[in-house]
Amino acid sequence: MSTTSPAMTAPEAGPAETAVELIGITKRFGAFVANEDVNLIVKRGEIHAIIGENGAGKTTLMNILFGLLQPDQGTIRLNGQDMVVGDPATAISAGLGMVHQHFKLVPSLSVADNVFLGMEIRRNGLIDHTAQIEKTRELSERFGLKVDPEERVSLLSVGIEQRIEILKVLARGARTIILDEPTAVLTPQESRELFQTLRGFVAGGMTVIFISHHLEEVIEVSDTVTVLRHGKHVATGPTSELTKADMVRMMVGRDVSFDRRPREKSDGKVVLDVKNLWARDDRRLPALRDASFTVRSGEVVGIAGVAGNGQTELAEVLAGLRPASHGSAMLKGRDLTVLSTSEIREAGLAHVPGDRLVRGVDGNASISSNLLMGRQDKAPWSRKGILDWRAAATQTVEMIKRFDIRARGPEDTVKRLSGGNIQKVVLAREFTNEADFLLIDQPTRGVDIGAQESIHDEIMRQRAAGRAVLVISVQLDELLTLADRILVMFNGRIMGEVEGGSADSERIGMMMAGLEPKNVSDEVAS
Amino acid sequence: MNDKLRAFSGQLVAVLIALAMGAVIIMLIDESPIKVFMTLMRGAFGDQAKIAGTLLQTTPILICGIAACIGLRGGMFNVGIEGQLFLGGFAAAWVGFAMPLPPGLHVVVAMAVAVIAGAAWVSIPAFFRTRYGTNEVVSTILSNYVAVLLTSYLTIFLFKRPGGWSETPPILASAYLPELFAFSRLNWGLIIGLVLALFVAWFFRSTAKGYSISMVGSAPKFAEYGGIDVKRQGFLVLLASGAVGGLAGGIETLGVHHRFMEGFAPGFGFDGLIAALLANGSPIGTIVTALFFGALRNGSLLLETDTNASREIITVIQALIILSVSAQVLMKRRGDSTAGERRWKF
Repeated sequence: MSTTSPAMTAPEAGPAETAVELIGITKRFGAFVANEDVNLIVKRGEIHAIIGENGAGKTTLMNILFGLLQPDQGTIRLNGQDMVVGDPATAISAGLGMVHQHFKLVPSLSVADNVFLGMEIRRNGLIDHTAQIEKTRELSERFGLKVDPEERVSLLSVGIEQRIEILKVLARGARTIILDEPTAVLTPQESRELFQTLRGFVAGGMTVIFISHHLEEVIEVSDTVTVLRHGKHVATGPTSELTKADMVRMMVGRDVSFDRRPREKSDGKVVLDVKNLWARDDRRLPALRDASFTVRSGEVVGIAGVAGNGQTELAEVLAGLRPASHGSAMLKGRDLTVLSTSEIREAGLAHVPGDRLVRGVDGNASISSNLLMGRQDKAPWSRKGILDWRAAATQTVEMIKRFDIRARGPEDTVKRLSGGNIQKVVLAREFTNEADFLLIDQPTRGVDIGAQESIHDEIMRQRAAGRAVLVISVQLDELLTLADRILVMFNGRIMGEVEGGSADSERIGMMMAGLEPKNVSDEVAS
Repeated sequence: MNDKLRAFSGQLVAVLIALAMGAVIIMLIDESPIKVFMTLMRGAFGDQAKIAGTLLQTTPILICGIAACIGLRGGMFNVGIEGQLFLGGFAAAWVGFAMPLPPGLHVVVAMAVAVIAGAAWVSIPAFFRTRYGTNEVVSTILSNYVAVLLTSYLTIFLFKRPGGWSETPPILASAYLPELFAFSRLNWGLIIGLVLALFVAWFFRSTAKGYSISMVGSAPKFAEYGGIDVKRQGFLVLLASGAVGGLAGGIETLGVHHRFMEGFAPGFGFDGLIAALLANGSPIGTIVTALFFGALRNGSLLLETDTNASREIITVIQALIILSVSAQVLMKRRGDSTAGERRWKF
């Protein structure tokens, strides 16, 4: 491999106006059509956003472009030339680069070693670390992606890991960069920095394709937007001519509201009272530090924060799945930290877990078998320890109807359902057991926009029914939609509390990044 | 239903592949596979006595298979059934010859003691599994050696019948498990095994306890989240599995040998485990697979007189079945994982 990366040469204006043209792409997986006659035309030097619900075919389309999948029909044209992209190597040599949603870095190696992994610069048959460090530094300065090339990746934050992924792509000479949901793991501030970098790229004549769920970001950063729905191309147009509502309508096929939900003011009794709660993570390090808060009946309290800042541990402690190392969590006078999971459920907890597929369901079992969990000793599901599968089926059919679960019937295997419908199975089980306290971790992760709306409706109904609701979410807009109060977690601590109605995302973002904002902590007395 | 059919056809293909590979090996030793298989069939089902002999071999495999099914359904891999069988067999024999009791009661007490011995023996690995997370596969395998040697020691040094082989004195006739026919040693053990298989299948399908245990086996994190005490269930599952393993040994001594002999039941525990795996942990399916292995064992008795093949060929075929079944499991897992990715990421 050449030691001079093509990215080092000055950007040239190519002969073609378009960087990428996908024409009439169709891709089937068995009977399922992931892409049907999709067109995507990306002009050179623009930031082109691709939006659509889960399962709309965005990632399939990008995998086809990058040579990871082969289309059943259609033409791929890169820089004006027809190409058969048989594998990623072809795509890379044509100047494409892809930054995946899940990073693929080696934690024990340095930044520079990661950037040149698989294309090491060699001298006398050995890896020339000095040259790699030098080149990485050069790239990093040229594109404004600040990293220390000699640092070990295991010591770095997620935001920096993403920069390294981008540097990897640049080092391989990419002129067109595909980013698959790049902001999912970033704080608002980190996202903003990323957008600045992307604008720098296009200013230098490069092209960016950006897949996202977050419409605010799409509006903020992209020049052109392409909407996919159910594997089909819906529209392509300049971002400036579209509103958020337009985009949602094109994605979902109907109007959807994500405005803050109207609510009656409530003044309920304290249901959950958490005091000075500490817990350790799986590596035995303190992950939850001194958390204190209350949740009242008829109130939705939101927990915001970048993933991995102690929210998981908090949820697990409250559900009895992780021991607390200090402190208490009183649910209607009973301390959850000393009870078993079944006693906690008796005490009045319903729990929608964040890790839905592992904790929330048995994917290989039927819907009725999943709804049975926790009721195997209760009528009408069972009598004297003997299960009544016929009664269970009746109950299941009822819940399928009430929660609008799209399934063939009560015996349908859960893993065959879409993410949104699996979540509805969990909600159906948890929301129907008359618990006073609902612990909802990531209510709509991986859930279609249409289903998100109905899940939010359901949560608001539970609030109106006088339940105390704690919603943990990494999606800030979701909390702004739902919560009466928002607590922000960083590094295991609750950094502050803001009123849901007047919350401003800038200030929450500061707290998510660990900065103590002024005038926040004493704004709301709890 | 569709899934079950697919699982069944998968297992059938695995067995056929193993038989085909076995045929190749038989050809390598210059013998005709057709002749060998026909001899096996004749040896297993040739006449009334041979069928009874096959069922006699099937009985311990079936009961050990049920023991394995209980473990598998509850997410516990009890590889110590062989050892539980030996201890159960010895314990039953001991009650049989050392503790005179009225007829009827004697058999029941002897079998109950066999059950307790099996459960007690597995309770050691079960304790370490539950308390310290010690891998039960390793500890139950190791406990087999101790069990086999311990029963040998007890037989040879403490309870040896004067003169003759390494065996205990014969049990009293009041402790005999009644035979079913005059022409065979086939006994009530087979009936007990069949009833037990039906009961275990019903238990997992239709009881709240059975549901909880299956959930611990198939989705332990989900079960834990749902309020099931996963550790406790795991302990109880191993105990139940060991108890049935002990029962298999008791039935073998009370029904067939009427004494405990050193090395009296070679490999039944392992054959049962394989039968259960081949049946995907289904007790009803294990009836079929246990019959298959019982037929192989009984049929192989004719192999050495009627063909040039050694009876060890059936061990080879069993090993090939294990290989092809586990290869299939691996392939299935891989298929599943990519399906999962496609499900979540289009």
